[in-house]
Amino acid sequence: MLKQKSTRINRFSAATNRQHQRVFVDNGVEGLPSIYASRLNFYSTPPPAEITIEEFETYALDRLQVLKTLETASLRNRHGPEFKKQVEQALEKHLPLKSNQSQSRNLLEERRKDHISHFVLRLAYCRSEDLRAWFLRQECALFKYRFEQETLDEKKRFVSSLNLSWSIVEQDEKNELLDKLAACTVWKAGKTAQAARDMVRNETYFKVDFEKVPDLINRRAVYIAQGKAYVPMSEQISIVMDEFRAKLSAALEATSKALPRMEEDERLKPILMNVEKQYIGKDYGGTSAAGGTVRASDVDQLIRQHAPLCMSNMHASLRADKHLRHGGRMQYGLFLKAIGLSVEEALIFWRTAFTNHTDDKFQKEYSYNIRHNYGLEGKRVSYSAYNCMKIISGNPPSTGDHHGCPFRHFSQGSLESKLYSERIGTVYVNEIMNLVRDRHYQVACTRFFEVTHSQYGENSKIDTIEHPNQYYEASKRLAKESSENNEEAMDVDR
Amino acid sequence: MTDQNSEELKNEDFDMSIFDDDMDDDIINQVDDHLANVHLQTPERPFKKSLISAPPEDDQVFLLRLFYQRFFPYKTYFNWLNYGLDISKNFTHREFSFTLPSDIYIRYNSFANIDVMKKEIERLQPIKIDIGAVYTVKPKDKKTVNEKVFKPLEKELVFDIDMTDYDEIRTCCSGGDICNKCWTFMTIAIKVIDAALREDFGFKHLLWVYSGRRGVHCWVSDERARKLDNESRKAIVGFLEVIKGGAEVSRKVKLPYILHPSLNRSLEIVKMYFGSLVLGEQEVLDTPESWNKVLDFINDADIKNDLNDQWNESPSRSGIDKWQDLRNELERKKRPDRESVARDLIFQYTYPRLDDKVSVQINHLLKSPFCVHPKTQRVCVPINPEVCEKFDPLAVPTLSKLSEELNTYDAKDHNDSDRKIPDYKKTSLRPYIEIFEKFVNNLIIEKQREKRDDAQTSMEF
Repeated sequence: MLKQKSTRINRFSAATNRQHQRVFVDNGVEGLPSIYASRLNFYSTPPPAEITIEEFETYALDRLQVLKTLETASLRNRHGPEFKKQVEQALEKHLPLKSNQSQSRNLLEERRKDHISHFVLRLAYCRSEDLRAWFLRQECALFKYRFEQETLDEKKRFVSSLNLSWSIVEQDEKNELLDKLAACTVWKAGKTAQAARDMVRNETYFKVDFEKVPDLINRRAVYIAQGKAYVPMSEQISIVMDEFRAKLSAALEATSKALPRMEEDERLKPILMNVEKQYIGKDYGGTSAAGGTVRASDVDQLIRQHAPLCMSNMHASLRADKHLRHGGRMQYGLFLKAIGLSVEEALIFWRTAFTNHTDDKFQKEYSYNIRHNYGLEGKRVSYSAYNCMKIISGNPPSTGDHHGCPFRHFSQGSLESKLYSERIGTVYVNEIMNLVRDRHYQVACTRFFEVTHSQYGENSKIDTIEHPNQYYEASKRLAKESSENNEEAMDVDR
Repeated sequence: MTDQNSEELKNEDFDMSIFDDDMDDDIINQVDDHLANVHLQTPERPFKKSLISAPPEDDQVFLLRLFYQRFFPYKTYFNWLNYGLDISKNFTHREFSFTLPSDIYIRYNSFANIDVMKKEIERLQPIKIDIGAVYTVKPKDKKTVNEKVFKPLEKELVFDIDMTDYDEIRTCCSGGDICNKCWTFMTIAIKVIDAALREDFGFKHLLWVYSGRRGVHCWVSDERARKLDNESRKAIVGFLEVIKGGAEVSRKVKLPYILHPSLNRSLEIVKMYFGSLVLGEQEVLDTPESWNKVLDFINDADIKNDLNDQWNESPSRSGIDKWQDLRNELERKKRPDRESVARDLIFQYTYPRLDDKVSVQINHLLKSPFCVHPKTQRVCVPINPEVCEKFDPLAVPTLSKLSEELNTYDAKDHNDSDRKIPDYKKTSLRPYIEIFEKFVNNLIIEKQREKRDDAQTSMEF
């Protein structure tokens, strides 16, 4: 495969914050260029100029996977070991980043990828306020996670390399303030005042403007005088995090302003446009499952047992109205195709569903479209079933429509009553409604899955739903596994 | 202009929480649309400059008009909010809101200069003026721009301490009433917060103002304070706040064994007043109803029963003695946290109670200094924190008093120069205006010093 070189213009540096920080690092690990001396990175400077289009895209998608995993892991598990495990897995798979201690030979490659992928995503996510906020949140979480993994020495080295506007508290001043500083650390050192004083003597303190450490001020965790906070080395993470966030936030704003003026040869723009809409999972698509095993008569039961809320909603409307409008027919029809409804069965299904129509009318108005979905008419493309992203952000339903995502498109009141009608307990309903309010529609759907499949215990915890068919398949699989287990159990009993 | 205003009132998703709550119980949130549309033009009442015929006591409208015409310190007020002598965005882009009779609120007023503001105040005769933030766009032009573009940029760091938050610990008054006994709580609050803001945070330009009835406000006007974002404001409030918990919580103060140096300082201040104010004047341990609240704080049934028995037997025992009983009891029961419990109790009964909503949001509106409180007719005058223990809210001049004093002065025989002095100097408003002028002068001096320094450094090289 020919390696395509991007043009000479370094698009990244054109789009970053004009004021470049001089990054100072004492040469740590041998062989690595100084900017990669630590695996941590403030991303102040753009990556070196040349990368391939392929790298551009794949690095970005890998990083995106990691960020999305971070998001869902933190939404579900806050900060426990579960969280760590999930993030670690994602990182290992997509964006490994070994420490300086690991003696790995791929350090440069890994760090370069990390660097590049960050900047590509910056370009992709700077376009709007929402995207910027999301990207900022996830990148901060990722940085925090990585920072916490480092050894104390590595942390010290990295922090001093940043050259931020802090000054070290001199010995004299520290002695003067000894008791006061000790009073702020005593909760860590244990109850004795002596232990606290010792701790202060051994610790390095930084004098920082109090605005830089709002969290520490709020908790009264540090001594302050005349507007300066005296922050011990051990509280570094707080300051570093705030600096990281502030820098990235400013950079994103600058990038978004520079973006329209960036010279572009139409290779990168489409990639950037689509990056956040990328669905990285399975493609319930054209070629597979079309020659299915599902019959028209099975649909009712299968939908009742295994369908996600969006599909069961449309199915119910179809049965009630004996009709479904176009948006619904597309979304639901393709879903059915993906679960294994063949074109012949589909025609029977829809024909019997539209009971109020005459054969003639059905033939004329609807059967062509159904066959079109299966690639038997027109440009002969077998369409893929819609993924969640497409359903949520695409064609919204208007009056009389039933398609879309209930978590996204239903009014709060309607969604709540729908959830209650599915016989879900109040606690769970509130949980789901909260997720919806924070616009985490897919997580809400996943939660809905877990709650409605609670009879399977631990196995009901699945990855975030990204596709209605994923929901269906997960549900089917659980049912199948469970019935297999039961059979085995029965065998043993005998 | 009025059309725009009534539009405002109809369409705006009014976040009433951003209004200073002082007037809450007075004003019902009803908008009189009809009145809002009326072009407000009350006829000018003619009166001679030197001798005003004694106005009927309840002619508050007339008195307010007199106040705005003769007493409101427009020039100094301008110098304050403009933060400099040359007109700047600090003033032109600042939001003012007016409350008119019949509960009409007009928000997003801004003025090109102080004369325009004076004219508007004299035209509308607001019964309350609130100060908001400095915005990216002139607030009066808010409707002409995209809402995303209209953002608050700066505002003083403000604090609002209201006596109703002390109702659970004061026994002399409640609600809107105050007296000299409970006013001491405000004295304590001013001393504690003033010290913390100056020593911990390094702020220098603090304007403490009497709210007109039952509280005090603090306007921190340092440039650094004005530029703080919401998160920093929240952090400062979190740092200062000690009393946490709603009505259902008995023990609202739970601090670590070793206190943060800032709290140590505050403790030294509040301890001075605990005996005389809480045990003495407020008689907190004198009645079972009141002392049981204290005992609930300790949350120990044994101790509570023991002390209840003891005190019920000798009801005339002094508060100070009873307090000693309490400490002895904690000692006897060997409560491991006995030091902290007693100390936290002192905090709960003396420490300042802040309204965080007011301080945290940069766009929160707060009543302006030199308003007149409609219920008490008292002027919202500045308080000198260094001698705040001498401040007497019941001696603050009212509109009637000011008008009387002006009459008395003008009735006497004066030479020309005496007659030409500013009107406030003829009345008891004088010392308060002087506090205000001193505060503003300090700001100006600092600003001039900065300019000089900048000029020097740019010349040096």
